[in-house]
Amino acid sequence: MTEREVVLDVPVQPPTDLFLPIPKKFLEEAYRGDDYVVLVGPQHPGSGHMRLILRIKGDVILEAIPDPGYVHRCMEKLAENRLYIQNIPLFERPAIMDTGNVTLGYVRAIENALDVEVPERAKYIRMILAELSRIGTHLYDAGILAVFLGHTTGFMWPFALREPIVEAITRISGVRVTSSFIIPGGVRRDVPWKTLEFVRKTTFVLEKRLKSFEKIFIRNPTVIERLKDVGVLSKEEAIKFGVVGPFLRASGVEYDVRAVEPYEAYDSVSWEIPISDHGDSYSRFLVRVEEIAQSISIIRQAVNELRSMPEGNIISEDILQEYSEVASSDIRGFFFKVFGNLVLPSGEFTSLTEAARGTLLYSIISDGESNIPYRARVITPGWYYLKGFMEALRGERLADLQAIYGSFGYFPPEADR
Amino acid sequence: MDDSVDFLNSGIFAPFKKWGTKWSLWPVHLVTACCGVELAHAYASGYDGERLGSLNYGIARQTNLIIVEGAITRKMARVLKITYEQMPEPKFVIVMGACGLKGGLFWNGYHMVRPSDVVPVDFFVPGCPPTPESLLRAIRALQDKIMSGEARSTIEFEKYDLSGIKARSEQPLVPPSPRYCSPTPPIKLDVPRDVDWEFGEKLVEEMKSELKGLYKSITITDKNRIAIHVEKKDVVTIASKLSKKFDHVKNVNVIDIPHEDSFIVEYQLSSYSVKELMPVIVNIFARIPRSDARFPSLTVFWPSADYLEREMYDLFGIWFDGNPAMGERFLLAPDTPEFPLRKDRKLREEQYYEEVKQ
Repeated sequence: MTEREVVLDVPVQPPTDLFLPIPKKFLEEAYRGDDYVVLVGPQHPGSGHMRLILRIKGDVILEAIPDPGYVHRCMEKLAENRLYIQNIPLFERPAIMDTGNVTLGYVRAIENALDVEVPERAKYIRMILAELSRIGTHLYDAGILAVFLGHTTGFMWPFALREPIVEAITRISGVRVTSSFIIPGGVRRDVPWKTLEFVRKTTFVLEKRLKSFEKIFIRNPTVIERLKDVGVLSKEEAIKFGVVGPFLRASGVEYDVRAVEPYEAYDSVSWEIPISDHGDSYSRFLVRVEEIAQSISIIRQAVNELRSMPEGNIISEDILQEYSEVASSDIRGFFFKVFGNLVLPSGEFTSLTEAARGTLLYSIISDGESNIPYRARVITPGWYYLKGFMEALRGERLADLQAIYGSFGYFPPEADR
Repeated sequence: MDDSVDFLNSGIFAPFKKWGTKWSLWPVHLVTACCGVELAHAYASGYDGERLGSLNYGIARQTNLIIVEGAITRKMARVLKITYEQMPEPKFVIVMGACGLKGGLFWNGYHMVRPSDVVPVDFFVPGCPPTPESLLRAIRALQDKIMSGEARSTIEFEKYDLSGIKARSEQPLVPPSPRYCSPTPPIKLDVPRDVDWEFGEKLVEEMKSELKGLYKSITITDKNRIAIHVEKKDVVTIASKLSKKFDHVKNVNVIDIPHEDSFIVEYQLSSYSVKELMPVIVNIFARIPRSDARFPSLTVFWPSADYLEREMYDLFGIWFDGNPAMGERFLLAPDTPEFPLRKDRKLREEQYYEEVKQ
């Protein structure tokens, strides 16, 4: 059959007044090349809000252009206008389910600037909180992946599994998600032995229920069919586009900030970096499932370590100074006095943290005079891997878009800040 | 047509219609911000929002409830309006979270909008974030509203007569903010620091011989952190030399210093492929005059810098020569004030309490 030109009488013009962040040339080229331009979102049946502008030939995605910023909440500007200590809850908001890791990054940048050594007990408590949030976030992403695949049971299970984690965080800090528990120099309160025992028991519950989740969702043939060999990012591509976290490790790069530049007590517990060589959606998911097992192991080791430590010393004396007598075991009531007039020395202080979804960078630029940051830069993992996500879409079928989107666990509030 | 609608709303079948609406409140998927975490919990097995006849659904055309989860940005406000207008009558709006009420943490942000300015709101759920219980309480309140026709607050506060109490002093009880902002501070990115880092000293020596004559100074600012001060004209040459070792960009940052009439543009580089260089962050920075805010784009060497450069154009208006997407908004809505992160764009001043209008 020979190709023939189809002439339509309908006057079709490339749209001009949609506020699309794409060049007019792109639309015109697509129009001339007989391709479709499909807009996905911002309101779409998945979770989170961003617009994807896809150029499609048949049903193969030729190019994907992101339109982020629907949840851009001006964090960097607001941080320049607030005290260092007021920025802890602010910087927690990008990813509230990952509360331990996001606050840890910011607090570590401040501690690095002030040269504060954190007490050993506080380090382990922080590590437990960070790993609990990591498990919670991975389960959240697994649930969202299930929503994207239309697998309702796969959504219900991880969210039921999240309940004991939320309960553990509540018992440690007092709130369900936004704990703001980690402060410069340590943590807000000591964690009593009873709570630590609850955390340890929670890990066994998680382990047991994860086995059933594995049968229901992870090893489910339909899930494997949807995810396997879809959205492949090779090792070279992943490095080139600066992908981070589990998504980088799924492409075969052994990079984890916890191992590369150890912070807290990660160098004194034993754990492994799960990696995969395939780089497809399924391995991106499996790497995170394996990370949950590693996190559980880290939490158990940390609880065992805390058993032999004396209770009480949880905030560094360098930061408390004259209040070290009264506030060392409980900072409540002295917050304003201790942290109100925190001034960082002049210079730039960059901290890297391995948040659940990948590298989290805080860069604080201080002038050495004001008690607010001159400039605070935060780059969340979602913003890092957005480029890699777009490249993974290229050459895939439109029907696989959901699987790839879900496998990246892209969370716009986190990416847009 | 209008007659039949009137008949449906007030005829003999009206109670049945109300009853049907009450038990089929379907919120559309519109996860606007972080409160979505608690919304997901409310509809998952722990709290089971479905027992109230409420179930999240994908498409606006078949739903009748919007749950606004927290902050609404200028960009999202338009989408919220469009989604609201797509939904068939009767339709309801519940706003979750402190951001949706009065702005919450982000109240003076340049990109924020209150949802009550965009769509008519039936119920507010306070909290940051509200618990799943309080969200389900709002859904129960909405069901009551559908049946009774009037919206009632689910919490009544006791009122106390304060007229007899004298204020202790003329001063307000809230202490003034200790915030101090230096008006013209010197900004220095390469403050040297004494650290025990042998590999770093070796690396600096290597760089000094490799980049001979191209840099102003190379400083170790911390363990694993190296700062290279360069001129704008040499940036591309330096990037081409460093790109062999450092394969990705960790950060593109701009610092606005109006009192020195300059911007500092910095690129923080790191490596995934060389094991020893993995923790190292090399910071190349250059000062450019504020009047000529142009900088060569380094996306040729590091494609990972692309979106970071576009973000910096959005926020600061630095034109990265060579990046094809310059001149277009990326993160910000078209009606946002231009280049909001420059220091001369001021936010509204902090205030502890707001006078209640009577």
